[in-house]
Amino acid sequence: MSTTSLNARFEEITRGIAGILPVERTPLDSPYEISNETYAALRTVLHDVGGQPALPEPYKEKGEEAWEMNTYVTCECLAWGGAWNAEIRRRAENDLGATLYYGLPYYARWITVAAKTLIDKGLITPDELSSKIDEVRARMKEQS
Amino acid sequence: MTQRRFSVGDRVTVRDATSLFHTRTQRYARGRTGVVTEYRPEWVIPEDEAWGRDEDGRHEPFYVVRFRQTDLWPDYTGFDVDTLETECSERWLEPEMVGTK
Amino acid sequence: MTYTEHEHIEGPTEVSEFEVLERAVRELAIEHGLFSAEDHRRFTEWAEARTPAKGSQLVAKAWLDPAFKQQLLSNGTEASKAVGVDWLDPTGKGTPSDYTYFYVLENTPKVHNVIVCTLCSCYPRPVLGMSPDWYRTPNYRRRLVRRPREVLAEFGLHLPSDVEVRVHDSNQKSRFMVMPMRPEGTEGWSEEQLASIVTRDTMIGVALPNPEWTATNPPNAKTGARR
Repeated sequence: MSTTSLNARFEEITRGIAGILPVERTPLDSPYEISNETYAALRTVLHDVGGQPALPEPYKEKGEEAWEMNTYVTCECLAWGGAWNAEIRRRAENDLGATLYYGLPYYARWITVAAKTLIDKGLITPDELSSKIDEVRARMKEQS
Repeated sequence: MTQRRFSVGDRVTVRDATSLFHTRTQRYARGRTGVVTEYRPEWVIPEDEAWGRDEDGRHEPFYVVRFRQTDLWPDYTGFDVDTLETECSERWLEPEMVGTK
Repeated sequence: MTYTEHEHIEGPTEVSEFEVLERAVRELAIEHGLFSAEDHRRFTEWAEARTPAKGSQLVAKAWLDPAFKQQLLSNGTEASKAVGVDWLDPTGKGTPSDYTYFYVLENTPKVHNVIVCTLCSCYPRPVLGMSPDWYRTPNYRRRLVRRPREVLAEFGLHLPSDVEVRVHDSNQKSRFMVMPMRPEGTEGWSEEQLASIVTRDTMIGVALPNPEWTATNPPNAKTGARR
């Protein structure tokens, strides 16, 4: 393919992706049909953002909060113990879909896919996770 | 140890394949031509690792490919000397495709 | 850059649902034997001890010792041991997210290196610690590959047109660190003095070392005056 047509196609897909980003949202509500162009934008692998249009924004230093450091370590320990690996985590983040991928803070994405992967693999059950979440929340409220 | 298909200095074009769900070959590199600058070890390919086949996944040689920025972007705003390097597994590379730059 | 240190300390607040979820996942994982509380403690201890200081030491050593510089450039993973970094830590096989393939990128008068991971946030934690928050943002990932000189300018770094800006998009198992050039005005400095000016940002490639500027003693933040 010629450089010109590669450039044209890159621009086209880039415009398509811009259309589904939160800042400039094309209405999508299970449409009866969509064009191949819209489908190409929708099925773009989410983490592949290099070159997408974006305006400058302040580059902030926030630093890890305790739950964020714990999330990092929990995810690494799950891989250390063989429950998953880092690439499964990265793939699972894409599998969240655009709303969650862009909607969640960085480490919230990690812990969300950790929970989902453990269920997907049958290592924990959804009801077990629900009960544990409610139990932990109650305990933390009592302690705070 | 498999025989490497490419050598340092070879001009290679990144395959322009359709990806669904997950990939580590960036869209901006698809169909673009660069030069192999370094070898990397034989690693498990991300297409297997991402679905849990790590130890028993397919391993193959990886390469560092250097692109001229002006060959990657439709409207590159820097200077002609600028470059970008990234890594590709062998299955993603072809000998330089005629007709591409 | 903005350090928002007071953002989350405002009296009694709601219990964070992310914290709840993390604790729930961790407790279930431990109950099911997926890892132990001891593993978690050990990994935390390792992670909290990671800072850019090890990277700074590697660069300072290389500036002073040409033989070590060659070793660092040809086998970064092995050379890291000289400053006490074993890439196999803390699991014996490396960390799950960082792997064990470390490459140091040498800046020269004609080449300036800068790192990014457009696909996630790959970063050499064993030598630089946790990545800065901005490094993980889609904004940095989107823009650095396509408009590197504009992004560098936002960090205050302007490079002449005959210097090749070489962006490294860390997309597989390699992890990269930039070795900046030793600046003038540091003649006769000790390894420790040199390391103090090799800040995190200079090893990411968004800044250059400055003899008057250390990470622990930057130019006066309030007045903007240099010491």
